[in-house]
Amino acid sequence: MAEKLSLLAIFPDIDPAAQAVDELRGLGLEDGDINVISGIPVTEAMLGRPRQWSNVPRLALGGAVGGFLIGAFFAFGTPNLYPIYVGGQPLLPGAPSIVVLFELTMLGMLAATFLGVFLDSRFPSYSPKEYVPQISDGKIAIFFECPAEKEKKCSQRLLALGAESIQPAEAQKL
Amino acid sequence: MSATHAHETDHELEHLRREHLMLDPKPRGEMNRMIMEAMHTTSWRFRLTFAFLVLVVLVCLFGVWGYMIAEGLGVAGVTVPIYWGIFLVNTVFWIGISHAGTFVSALLRVFKAEYRRPFTRAAELMTTFGLVQAGLSIFFHMGRVWLSYWLFPYPNERQLWPNFHSPLSWDFLAINTYLMASTMYLFLPLIPDLAMARDRSTGWRKVFYRILSLGFRGTEGEWAHLRIAMNIFAFAILPVMFSVHTIVSWDFAAAMRPGWSSTIFGPYFVVGALQSGLSAVAMVLVVVRGTMKNMKYFIRPEVFDALGKLMLVISMAWAYFFFNDYMVQWYGGDKFTDALLHFHEEGPLGWMWFAMLILNVAVPWLTLWNKKVRRTPWAIFAIGLGVNVAMWFERYIIVPISLTINRMPFTWREHVPGVEIPLGIGTLAFFILLYMAASKLVPLVPVWEVQEGQLAHSVRKVGKEVVVSVADME
Amino acid sequence: MSEKKIPEFSANWSAEEQGKWGLVVDQDLCTGCQACVTACAMENNIPFVGEEDAAYGRAMHWIRIERFWEGVYPEVKATPFQPVMCQQCGAAPCEPVCPVFASVHSQAEQLNIQVYNRCVGTRYCANNCPYVARTFNWRDYERPEPLPNQLNPDVTVRRRGIMEKCTFCVQRIKRAEDRAKSEGREVYDGEVEPACVQACPAEALTFGRLDDPESAVSKKARSGRGVKLLEDLGTLPHVTYLKGGA
Repeated sequence: MAEKLSLLAIFPDIDPAAQAVDELRGLGLEDGDINVISGIPVTEAMLGRPRQWSNVPRLALGGAVGGFLIGAFFAFGTPNLYPIYVGGQPLLPGAPSIVVLFELTMLGMLAATFLGVFLDSRFPSYSPKEYVPQISDGKIAIFFECPAEKEKKCSQRLLALGAESIQPAEAQKL
Repeated sequence: MSATHAHETDHELEHLRREHLMLDPKPRGEMNRMIMEAMHTTSWRFRLTFAFLVLVVLVCLFGVWGYMIAEGLGVAGVTVPIYWGIFLVNTVFWIGISHAGTFVSALLRVFKAEYRRPFTRAAELMTTFGLVQAGLSIFFHMGRVWLSYWLFPYPNERQLWPNFHSPLSWDFLAINTYLMASTMYLFLPLIPDLAMARDRSTGWRKVFYRILSLGFRGTEGEWAHLRIAMNIFAFAILPVMFSVHTIVSWDFAAAMRPGWSSTIFGPYFVVGALQSGLSAVAMVLVVVRGTMKNMKYFIRPEVFDALGKLMLVISMAWAYFFFNDYMVQWYGGDKFTDALLHFHEEGPLGWMWFAMLILNVAVPWLTLWNKKVRRTPWAIFAIGLGVNVAMWFERYIIVPISLTINRMPFTWREHVPGVEIPLGIGTLAFFILLYMAASKLVPLVPVWEVQEGQLAHSVRKVGKEVVVSVADME
Repeated sequence: MSEKKIPEFSANWSAEEQGKWGLVVDQDLCTGCQACVTACAMENNIPFVGEEDAAYGRAMHWIRIERFWEGVYPEVKATPFQPVMCQQCGAAPCEPVCPVFASVHSQAEQLNIQVYNRCVGTRYCANNCPYVARTFNWRDYERPEPLPNQLNPDVTVRRRGIMEKCTFCVQRIKRAEDRAKSEGREVYDGEVEPACVQACPAEALTFGRLDDPESAVSKKARSGRGVKLLEDLGTLPHVTYLKGGA
């Protein structure tokens, strides 16, 4: 029955932050308990973190299929529903249908990608969160949950590696 | 000996640092401060220009448009057989300008051209605002604009859907797709910068940025989703960009008019769009660099050097496609196409045709090969302005001038512009107005992307030479 | 009144596919008097645009008489007058380009139909018409009293922003067909006369059923003097021009 504490450690640069992640893992913390918050996208490889999985590509594909189906309805469905003959062209025109299908497939894919980011990142979210404004000024923050008894040890080790500060993580309005 | 070499190396390093933004990193906090200062500082010149543009937009755009809706298109210059006039010229022109943003933020990103980093957003803003003007110009030219929603495919009780045989329907789908896609592509990389602005703002600005930044913090998950989405967008928006201007070109190429029914219009228009877009980006960057605080750190002569080279290459491509179109028409000998070509060159507006060739081809080819010219902001501005004027002339030649000549000579008539002139000026004023407003509301430089690039760049010595090294950090 | 099933794709049309209603213009008889232009304007409620707009080409007549000459003054020779109206093309280029289906093909009448209340005024159809047969309502033109008394109740009055063109007086065609149907017969040859055909003093215009080989218009269309305007464009027009002497 370990009480878990949420702490936020702020590092000035990527190197000490990467070492800190290793250190925390060495002290027994799970990868899921550690979250790195940064002002630029630091790749997982640089930090020695497991790969982030994202639903965005699958949603993009789904959106492309959805867009294609809507395009098919416009190009083939509507002329069948309400046939109107124009200009000696066939009712279901070949080349124009390709244009319609292409545009709507792309729109579907891109709209789904965009909404996928929102969905995956749980945007928009205005509830209080663990954050410090220094992060957008270039600091790397490590937000981790550690059992109460290990807290002192973690803090010492991280300070030794160059952490600027370690504070209890408070969820505050952004 | 080694002291001299060290001194030389220092000298080279200093030179490289001054040349390239990517080799001149500043602390992130410092760059953030610079960008916030650029946003918050408005000079009296800015406010005066802004007020003047608001006046122009209210009178020349909304005022005159209201008048035209009430009176009908008779107050414009269109007639028989020139059913399309300057409104269509402006539509094509603004869509061309809008290709600037996608070119810089997507094409250069895909090709990993690192110098694009400081100005992707400045270019992408041009896309959204340019498309707004294009949309307005399309609405202007419609006879019953209050019924324009009939072009939108939605279930209705009229037993009628839009006609998807029509290039105008494809236009509707393509331009809307492009507008939505580039606005989304503008917004995604903007989120982290809005979060930065949120952290450094107070008052109404803080509320504004708080809402728009959606609660972004910069967690690994958020960055991962954002990066993947931006990659998908960068690759996917390129075919959309190509398709949009191709479809716009098909408005003309699908018609059976002499001079219009040309199979090369697709790529010709796309390259023309890239040409006017790139030149417009260069012009905007010269103005931004010259008028906004701290921009001289971000936008350096290397940017104009690169843009100038691109302008030269695209100008050559444009000349290639123009000559393709011209040669085939000139040689073909079709009676009416012949009459059309003669009308272009020797008609009352023949000077426009020559001006187009001089400003689009001769001037860039004679100047942009020279590095000193490319690195001089005002020179790039002047050349870019010439190119944009020439591209407007090109579209004027394609629409009102070419429509004069058709297969029924009894109907041939010259075009005289009407209220299109104040309305066109209104769209230009509106574009500049929107841009000025955005420059004060939104960080114009994507600082996180600049810092990301600076992280990836380093200098190292190979033999006796100092070389720049870029890491692939994807 | 049998409805012929025309193949959708114009490339599948056979050479004899003439369509249903047709017009023959005998240029050797036309005197250029413009009675047809006047009659059309009266029948179809065409507005008067005024001197300034007419000078800029905005006169809204659905039929125009084209006049040319050959040679240089003083040795000029007049060429036959050429009345041009909507050719009611079988493969009309104005139809596929309208984004809202305001210009469509009638399978029953085999005419090109302009739907006034659907037109949003993009004017693509007008640009694509090789005969420049379409006119546009550039403004709301005035009809000072007592001109509104002259309006034909069978024909819509159009507002600004709408395209219009010759309809082969479809209101007269419909009226004749309705009368014939109620009397249990087919429309006989010569029963339907568009306003221009009715008004022509030289009888240069003939109208009727092209799918009836015995009708006057079919016989004239088949004559050796018959040509179609801009035939090589493949628009399959329903108007035949006779010229070249007896």
